[in-house]
Amino acid sequence: MNELIEAFRLVLAPDVLIAILLSSIYGLVIGSLPGLSATMATALLVPVTFYLSPIAAVASIIAASAMAIFSGDIPGCLLRIPGTPASAAYTDEAYAMTRKGQAEVALGAGLWFSALGGIAGTISLIVMAPILAELALNFSTFEYFWLAFLGLMCATLVARSSPVKAIASMLLGLLVACIGMENPGGVPRFTFGVPELLGGVEAIPVLVGVFAVSEVIRALVSPEPPPLPRRKFGSILAGQLALTRKYWRQMTRGNIVGIIIGVLPGAGADMAAWVSYAMSKRFSKEPEKFGTGHPEGLVEAGASNNASLASGWVPSLLFGIPGDTITAIAIGVLYMKGLNPGPTLFTERASSMYALYIIFILANILMIPLGIVMIRVASTVLRAPRATVLPVILVCCAVGAFATGNNLFAIVLVAIFGAIGYVMENNGYPVAAMVLGIVMGTMVEQSFVTSLIKSDGSLLPFFERPVSAILAAMTISALLWPVFIWLWKRIRHRPQEQAL
Amino acid sequence: MRLSDRVTGSFIATLGALATYGGSRLPPVPGQDVGPSAFPMVIGAGLILCGLMIALGIGRSFEEEAEADLAAVEGPPQRAQPADPLAYRLRALLPPGLLLFYVYAADRLGFVPTTAIMIFVVAVAFGARLRVALPLAALAPIAIHLIFYKLLRVPLPPGLLPMPW
Repeated sequence: MNELIEAFRLVLAPDVLIAILLSSIYGLVIGSLPGLSATMATALLVPVTFYLSPIAAVASIIAASAMAIFSGDIPGCLLRIPGTPASAAYTDEAYAMTRKGQAEVALGAGLWFSALGGIAGTISLIVMAPILAELALNFSTFEYFWLAFLGLMCATLVARSSPVKAIASMLLGLLVACIGMENPGGVPRFTFGVPELLGGVEAIPVLVGVFAVSEVIRALVSPEPPPLPRRKFGSILAGQLALTRKYWRQMTRGNIVGIIIGVLPGAGADMAAWVSYAMSKRFSKEPEKFGTGHPEGLVEAGASNNASLASGWVPSLLFGIPGDTITAIAIGVLYMKGLNPGPTLFTERASSMYALYIIFILANILMIPLGIVMIRVASTVLRAPRATVLPVILVCCAVGAFATGNNLFAIVLVAIFGAIGYVMENNGYPVAAMVLGIVMGTMVEQSFVTSLIKSDGSLLPFFERPVSAILAAMTISALLWPVFIWLWKRIRHRPQEQAL
Repeated sequence: MRLSDRVTGSFIATLGALATYGGSRLPPVPGQDVGPSAFPMVIGAGLILCGLMIALGIGRSFEEEAEADLAAVEGPPQRAQPADPLAYRLRALLPPGLLLFYVYAADRLGFVPTTAIMIFVVAVAFGARLRVALPLAALAPIAIHLIFYKLLRVPLPPGLLPMPW
């Protein structure tokens, strides 16, 4: 109980409240601009968090990412351009509703079910985290190795691209993580005599490069999106209670699917939205209405992507294994602030954990009033021309990367990874898989090599411990899953071809 | 820049081969079987395998499906038809180039002049008119400097134009 009171005291500090409010507004604006994703908003926020107290730093990341995921729905609904990848699954549906003159309902549903989904995800975090923490206390390097590997495999599974290319991207990330002195031998590895590389490649400049700079490049070589027609909105929340009553089953299912996908290391909000939208269509009583401006799928997918955001923190806080790219950034901030992820976080820093829960709930409640304001001013914000926003973003990339260690080499990394990210994305190599490889590389290698030393070079103990065996089975099935899908499709299509 | 799967696949396989070779030459830890070379060699082998599979077009069907899904959401891909495709595509080099320019020039010119040049160039590349680009290039660096230098205490180089705060 004392810890709970202490947690409230931590959250209600003025600097934390101001951080939540400002980063919420920041997240809403960045998320609503097409092409600027929630991950990018979080990555550019990191240098700012250096100068905040630990709780304020984490609070600003939670608030900004939750808001950005919601506000990605706005340009999707009004312009048919998803603001963040997590909104892409139902952009068509939302735009169809706008064309039918129901923009308020579509945006309101995005807002309302996002907030409810976020709260459901938070409850799952509160319930699941302590139970899993107990389990995690018994984990050895074998379990950590499989867990990290499972996370990497999930990241490749969920990439909407060729699984082979996704695995290649992930391996590239692991290869980048090999650079530096932090390896079992403590020798300079792949540094090519560059002293700056001795410390390894930092994750933040890479993230800024692949998520922000490559977006600027893409915008430079693609045509300007159409201007937004000015429009007046009616009441935004009217009718949402009726929708909640009508589609509570879909909402609950969306929440649960989102939570499960979020907990899986490596899979995040974009995947949750795609899966939930597809599921909603499959189980719907009126699937023929999907795509014509029918709110059902919107409810389920909107509930799902925000739920996954909160439950994505479960593996991050417990194991230090990111649930998605946003928590990959958050883990770096947690380490920097002395809140090292791990099961002991729950016993030693219980008040900080409670504070985190409170911030999640607060951010999701705050989302409703701020979201309504954002929807009302959206037509003005979305009119901001690219020519003024993106140059400033580019300078912020440089300054932000510089601020992480006050060295200019970080900016060189930003430039290199910006170009690499652009080329990879253009050729169907998912960059998120590479980023997770870089973030988790050191951990995968350490647990792999330590386990091998413990087992005297034998691979058998990797499968002998019970939890380790289960995780190994999950990882290997994730690896073989694309093969199953491919075979299943061949078998299903063959009879049709013969009939022709 | 869209390359064929053969090109990117071969590139990845080559990178894998180099990683395996480079890894195998790392000094071992005395008295232990596994050292710093184990991990790069495993990754290198994986990259060679993936690279070959990509070059042979395995897994391509998944990509086509995902592209079809995305096309259904975003409509037919909007391809720009510029007058000079090469010059247009070369603009992709602008952001990384300007970042390297910052690395080169920041300590010599100072933060505000360097970023003013960057902002001006990018704004013009996006087609901004001079009456937008010039004030933006003059004011935005000062605002960014104020936030990062004054509030966040990032030691930005003063150079030729130190700010009064």
